[in-house]
Amino acid sequence: MTEYTRKQQLLHADNVCLSYGHKPVLHNINFSIRNIVRPGVQQGQVVSLLGRSGIGKTQLFRLLAGLQQPTSGSITINGNKQVQAGDMGVVFQHYYLFEWKTIQQSLYMAAHQNPAIKGNEKAAVEKWAADFDITEALPCYPHQLSGGQRQRASIIQQLLKGSSFLLFDEPFSGLDVCVLDKVVNMLLQVSVSDELKTLIIVSHDIETSVAISDTVFILGKEPGEPGATIKKEIDLIERDLAWQKDIRRQKAFIDTLEEIKATL
Amino acid sequence: MVLGWWHFSANGLMPAPGRVTVALAELSASSQLWDNILTSLMLTIKAMLYAIIITLLISWLSVIPFFKSLAQVMVKCRYLTLAGLIFVFTLLTQNGATLKLWLLIAGIVPFFVTSFLSVIVNIHQQEYDLCKTLGYNNWRTLHEVIIVGKADKVLEIIQQNFAIAWLMITMVEGVSMSEGGIGTLLIKYNKYNDLTKVLALQIVIFLLGLLFDYLLSVTRLWLFPYIRKTK
Repeated sequence: MTEYTRKQQLLHADNVCLSYGHKPVLHNINFSIRNIVRPGVQQGQVVSLLGRSGIGKTQLFRLLAGLQQPTSGSITINGNKQVQAGDMGVVFQHYYLFEWKTIQQSLYMAAHQNPAIKGNEKAAVEKWAADFDITEALPCYPHQLSGGQRQRASIIQQLLKGSSFLLFDEPFSGLDVCVLDKVVNMLLQVSVSDELKTLIIVSHDIETSVAISDTVFILGKEPGEPGATIKKEIDLIERDLAWQKDIRRQKAFIDTLEEIKATL
Repeated sequence: MVLGWWHFSANGLMPAPGRVTVALAELSASSQLWDNILTSLMLTIKAMLYAIIITLLISWLSVIPFFKSLAQVMVKCRYLTLAGLIFVFTLLTQNGATLKLWLLIAGIVPFFVTSFLSVIVNIHQQEYDLCKTLGYNNWRTLHEVIIVGKADKVLEIIQQNFAIAWLMITMVEGVSMSEGGIGTLLIKYNKYNDLTKVLALQIVIFLLGLLFDYLLSVTRLWLFPYIRKTK
């Protein structure tokens, strides 16, 4: 069993509810993400929020990103700070980028928002572009990029912004097997780039999400309850299913997938 | 095919293409045509510039609720006819040149505003969301998404609506004929039933329209290279 400890609370959702008129969408969402500390390893957090299509994942995603306010309850980060738009790095489904900006311009836009790299924006953009192998794509517009380059540019843009939290909306949706592997590796690379880096993946792709996560939250509807809530939390580290390359072949992993499917 | 049909269907009343070509050559050789074209072009370009400034102000401000209703009223003004507004504009303006300019602006602006509002309404939510996630305030978001992001659409709207302005010029120039213009020339030849010259002028108006359409299209591609959708 890998040695680890869960330290301070990084994010906390407290009784979050969301309704549209009289129609409840989310009901009493409660969960916390804590800093995972592994001796000798710079280990960030990778959390998956799984749920069926149409259950309210996108709404929860928007609440976590601060793009929408909950009807009641609160989402706080780093202690007591109420989450606001701009606090989190957000990678949208289909990896949206401004079509009228070159990749370089888009990356500069994000870098200029990061006080930690003030004055060194150019160097930071070049470093990340080199690390993610998109240096040659910097002068291009998004429509000139391949799907993979677009994904990397979109992720780097949010990384340059400097937020510890990165939210991904359906990052595996519509990807072929080769690109999927690259995206998975990229997310793992990001997760170990900083101790406090926290990736929150909102997805309905159970297998891929579980394979790279340390914790899984299952969003679903309890019988008789209005709206979706967190039905179950699975600590994958406790089950020895986190941070392993060939995890998909293990029986415990397959059993966990079955357990999640049964809960959805 | 059209030329063939025109040639064979021409009779005593309808001049044949050959006669129209001769009239076109005669007109081209005279300074009268070029002076009048220049007058019309100057008026159209001036009106388009004013119209685009007014349109952009109204459209950009339409994101604020008060100005949204103003923009919506402007959109409905498409159904007003210019002919019915001549008297009102005559009272409001001081001379023929100003009257023509503002009549043309009043004719163009509702169409421009309609087109640009449709662009703003169809902006994808993710464009605003991306700005917010980058920590931009509302004004910076407006600047990035609507002003900078949709700048290419302004030229596209000008290109699409130039035909409307060009269509109105003949009518507007007929209101005050002292400054001349291609519309004045057309009215004059129509009055004397000089059909060969009328058709020759129609060809000139048509070709000028095509030329401007092409020039605007090239300018748009040059200014906004990202609209080229080739990999």
